[in-house]
Amino acid sequence: MTLDFVLRGIFSTFFLASVIRICTPIIFPSMGGLVAAAAGVSNMALEGIMLWGAFTGVFVSAYTGNVWLAVLAGCLAGILVALLLAVAHLQFGSDRFLAGLAVNLFSSGGTVFLMYSLIGEKGNTSTLASLSVPNVVIPFIHDIPVLGPILSGHPVFTYIAFFSVWVIYILMYRTRLGVHMRAVGENPAAATTLGINVHRVQYIALAISGFFAALGGMSLSMAYLQMFQREMAAGRGWIGIAAVNLGALRPIPTLIAAMVFGFADALANQLGSLNIPSQLVQSIPYATTVIGLAVYSIQQRRVAIERQKKYASAHYEEAASEAE
Amino acid sequence: MPLIEMKNISKIYDNGVVANDHVNFSVEKGEIHALVGENGAGKSTLMKILYGIEQPTEGQILINGKEVSFRSSLDAIDEKIGMVHQNFMLIPSFSVADNIVLGNEPLQTNKLIDKKRSVEITEELSKTYGLNVIPEAIVDSINVGMRQRVEIIKMLYREAEILIMDEPTAVLTPQETQDLFNAIHKLVEQGKTVIFITHKLREVKEISDRVTVMRLGKMIGTVDTKDVTREQIANMMVGREVFLDITKPKINRGQKRMTVKDLTYVSETGTPVLRGVNFNLYSGEVLGIAGVEGNGQTELVEVITGLKSATGGEVLVHEKNILNRTPREIRMMKVAHIPEDRLTNGVAVNASIEENLIVDRYFKKPLNKGLLMDYKEVNKHSDALIKQFSIKTPDGKLPVSSLSGGNMQKVVVARELSSDPYVLIASQPTRGIDVGATEYIREQLVKYRTDGVAVLLVSADLSEVMSLSDRIVTLYEGKITGVFPDASKATEEELGLYMLGLKEQTAEEMEKVL
Amino acid sequence: MKKFFDSKNVRSFLRIVLALTIGLTFGFVITLIVSDEPMVAYKAFLFGPLSQLNRIGDWLEESLTLIFLGLAITIVFSAKQFYIGLEGQMILSALATGAVAIYMPAPPIIRVPLAFLAGMVVAVLWALIPALLKAYLGASELVTSLMFNTMALRLFEFLLRTYLQLPNANGIMSERVPEDARLRTFIPNLPFLEETRNAWSKATNVSWMVYVAIGAVLLAYILLYKTKFGYEIRAVGANAKFAKYGGINVKRTIVASILVSGVFSALAGSHLVLAITERIVQGMAFGFGFEGINISILSGNNPLGVPIASLFYGYLRAGSDVMERASDVSRELVFVVQAAVLLLLTAERLLPVVQQVVTTDEEEAAQLEKGSVK
Repeated sequence: MTLDFVLRGIFSTFFLASVIRICTPIIFPSMGGLVAAAAGVSNMALEGIMLWGAFTGVFVSAYTGNVWLAVLAGCLAGILVALLLAVAHLQFGSDRFLAGLAVNLFSSGGTVFLMYSLIGEKGNTSTLASLSVPNVVIPFIHDIPVLGPILSGHPVFTYIAFFSVWVIYILMYRTRLGVHMRAVGENPAAATTLGINVHRVQYIALAISGFFAALGGMSLSMAYLQMFQREMAAGRGWIGIAAVNLGALRPIPTLIAAMVFGFADALANQLGSLNIPSQLVQSIPYATTVIGLAVYSIQQRRVAIERQKKYASAHYEEAASEAE
Repeated sequence: MPLIEMKNISKIYDNGVVANDHVNFSVEKGEIHALVGENGAGKSTLMKILYGIEQPTEGQILINGKEVSFRSSLDAIDEKIGMVHQNFMLIPSFSVADNIVLGNEPLQTNKLIDKKRSVEITEELSKTYGLNVIPEAIVDSINVGMRQRVEIIKMLYREAEILIMDEPTAVLTPQETQDLFNAIHKLVEQGKTVIFITHKLREVKEISDRVTVMRLGKMIGTVDTKDVTREQIANMMVGREVFLDITKPKINRGQKRMTVKDLTYVSETGTPVLRGVNFNLYSGEVLGIAGVEGNGQTELVEVITGLKSATGGEVLVHEKNILNRTPREIRMMKVAHIPEDRLTNGVAVNASIEENLIVDRYFKKPLNKGLLMDYKEVNKHSDALIKQFSIKTPDGKLPVSSLSGGNMQKVVVARELSSDPYVLIASQPTRGIDVGATEYIREQLVKYRTDGVAVLLVSADLSEVMSLSDRIVTLYEGKITGVFPDASKATEEELGLYMLGLKEQTAEEMEKVL
Repeated sequence: MKKFFDSKNVRSFLRIVLALTIGLTFGFVITLIVSDEPMVAYKAFLFGPLSQLNRIGDWLEESLTLIFLGLAITIVFSAKQFYIGLEGQMILSALATGAVAIYMPAPPIIRVPLAFLAGMVVAVLWALIPALLKAYLGASELVTSLMFNTMALRLFEFLLRTYLQLPNANGIMSERVPEDARLRTFIPNLPFLEETRNAWSKATNVSWMVYVAIGAVLLAYILLYKTKFGYEIRAVGANAKFAKYGGINVKRTIVASILVSGVFSALAGSHLVLAITERIVQGMAFGFGFEGINISILSGNNPLGVPIASLFYGYLRAGSDVMERASDVSRELVFVVQAAVLLLLTAERLLPVVQQVVTTDEEEAAQLEKGSVK
């Protein structure tokens, strides 16, 4: 397989469409993580909550035959697990990181445990007739050459993912709740003096993050694949946290960070046909995260130093003229 | 009937500190009332009680003759009291308008926040009270003067009738201060009442109708501003306090040990905190830096001891510039440091006393021999110091958190003094500790000074500076404003004037005795 | 009597016991619900590891790996660094150790120590970038170490498949580690122990890593509590500002603490490959990722407590194995129990105890203002 072939593949409609799809399970935990982080309670258990969402969706859809009920159940599961984390941290003073770790442990172990108990399998639920969400074909748009398949024909979760970016934007900047969340995250003391109940806001933020993480999980088990697999989140929850890190607590930059990682992921798949070993290529998203963090930190430093220099010279003049 | 009456207010904290001692304070409607006092005088505490942030241990508050009790600042806001804090309570990434309406945002019919209305409200209030702000500007990027106006409008949005302002001009330029005063006059014209906490006497004279002076938690008196001079106010503030008579052996000054030349420091937020500080420090003396907190003392110490990097100038010890070196290097040059905030820098509260005592020498013999540390020696070392410095603890292995404030400070002092220093920087060494420990630490400082150590004493407690120092310099707004070569000849009143920027020596005068 | 309960250590201990009891009870309740034969299952869980020699062996082997991981975490946590790259370090060390043991043409007396050394070098190098990024740029060591973990797994798979894969094997694995490099049993070759020795060699893989583990515990303890390096680590962990004020080079200490912990992770990897799996195989480190943290919390972040905590968790893991084979309950139950115990142990206000082992990083809090991970 030549480089030329691969390059042409990258610029193909098929590839770009796959990028959009692959970004979906990264965008969801990123958005969830964003809300929690904005309120000052970053959620370390996104990975685990994704697993519970994926798991619940599959099993409820298999047992009830109703895919939408399953989605609802999955979201509920996500919210409940997030609230468990919230209670441990906010009510009982558990360290946020450790409590998140505990929840992750509970999730990776618990999902496999339940899977085995319910259907006797440990690897995946392929024996189960679970459902997946429909793809959305937008009439007219679908038939546009080149752009058509990129914009249309994706599972419904993909559209929800991109829509949720807008929803979160509205939440954070145009609703009282969202504004209070951001205030609490930035200066809880100030928020308290104005009558905002810091803990209440943080509970809600965590619940919302659980909701979105669960959707992310379901986009894996009810769209990408049609089953639940052990550890199927494969680190996307952590990548979501990294995306939030890089996104400076704003929806669009976080989306961009998530899409960069998604792109790296899709690229990894595409390059698999080249002679580059798949594992190295699969490392691209993770290496990207590290580089991104490093660059970001350097940037921050530089900005701070420049600010100090700028004011130093400005004030020298001011001080000098004052002294006269 | 006065609008506000605070009767017999006392506030005693858990650690025994008496912040307010049976204070009676009243404010008339429509007046601008200045509340002055040095740091630790209790004025901030009194106002925090009025605003509901703190609860009084004793006493009552009456608004318009009606007794009230505030469980939180929300209750105070209900009574139309608003407070503009010294540390602004703003959300940096929000706009001016967003900050003003925070907590009570106007809504559209679809339950989303009505941004247009927020901006309108801001503009209306801004115009009515002559407080110039840019509604869409992000608070992070606006200057301090505007931030303060935002805080004021925030309170006005909540219909405050009484505005408490805590050191509002501390961070303003002269022009901004003028703008603020105009705004205050406008507020009063509209029927508001303003309480103005400050230590800047020029401003007290310029703007207030009445002034109340507090000192050491007690109320000294309330007078009509027009009836007093600044000097008189300064006298009431600083007062005649002979705390403890330390008998100092006669000074035996030796050679120069530290030279500070043109030291400048600009903070990360862009404020010029030190604007060219010059002084010399000699062996065998205590040089006291007198000044109201916030004039650069903290940064001066941090820069000399390597905790922060200076932006200009030199500090020479042993002919070498110690600026911008690591704390380890500076300590190796025998410069010891008693930090002003013992909990942040001076100790690690969860670590044991003995381990706290060795942070500057754990790698030296006999505590450390080759690969391993000798904890028996560490034990011996700490037991010796505990005994020598009378640190009240049954066991050196207990965590520092088990000690009282005074004993914690003794741990710091013990460590720093026992390092055989060439120069000792002592910053607020007796702040927040009991009388016994205070007395002891002061005695130790004098002892080491007499033995030849060069001691730089930075303290907001003027009487401490006066009784311990051989020479005194006053620091005001990042510059040395006066040098007093014989501390015993200086008076509180005179020092007060220099500390508060009312008087300043010329460079030539100071050169002679620096 | 009240005074007895006021003692910090007693409360600490009671709290651990309480958390464990509640966790195990919780596990039992779940077993009751999902299993058709809960008593059989839970009995197997609780007593299984003791029932046969090979199971006791499994228990001890697991515990040894946990000891090394626990020690590694104890060191970084003492400096309040949230570095959790153990899994990556462990797996790469296992690969390096295994490769040297299998392919280096040298007598075992040289090859084996070199194999261990190779593992350590690899582990330390792998931790270098996250350590430097944290110390000098303030980049979250949590995120970078996790990313490096995932990359390590990929790299491991790549190297294994490409260079070390045993042809015609039914799985992704390397050759078996040669006989002379495999670790012998820990029971010394003395005449009166011959029977015991044979029994243990036949039934278990418990090797002289036992002694290495004991040595490692002592080494970690001495390092942390008796050397000046350990003092620096603990000072930075107790109050980084105080450490700086006192003259300690905080950045260098942060990096060093992370790198040193790599040595212990390497031992875990070497142990895995030379004593337990005896070959380099895909998935050999599965499920050990965060165990180090569990051990550290359970042992109060004290090296001397690590063996006990490891034996306890090792017992649970071995027990869950037995339970799975003997009943219809899967071994993942142990993770659920562990999660419950972890949550209970870290819930400060649930059981008010003074001791706080790990608290939110102050530096992370400072990054709060820049909008990064909190």
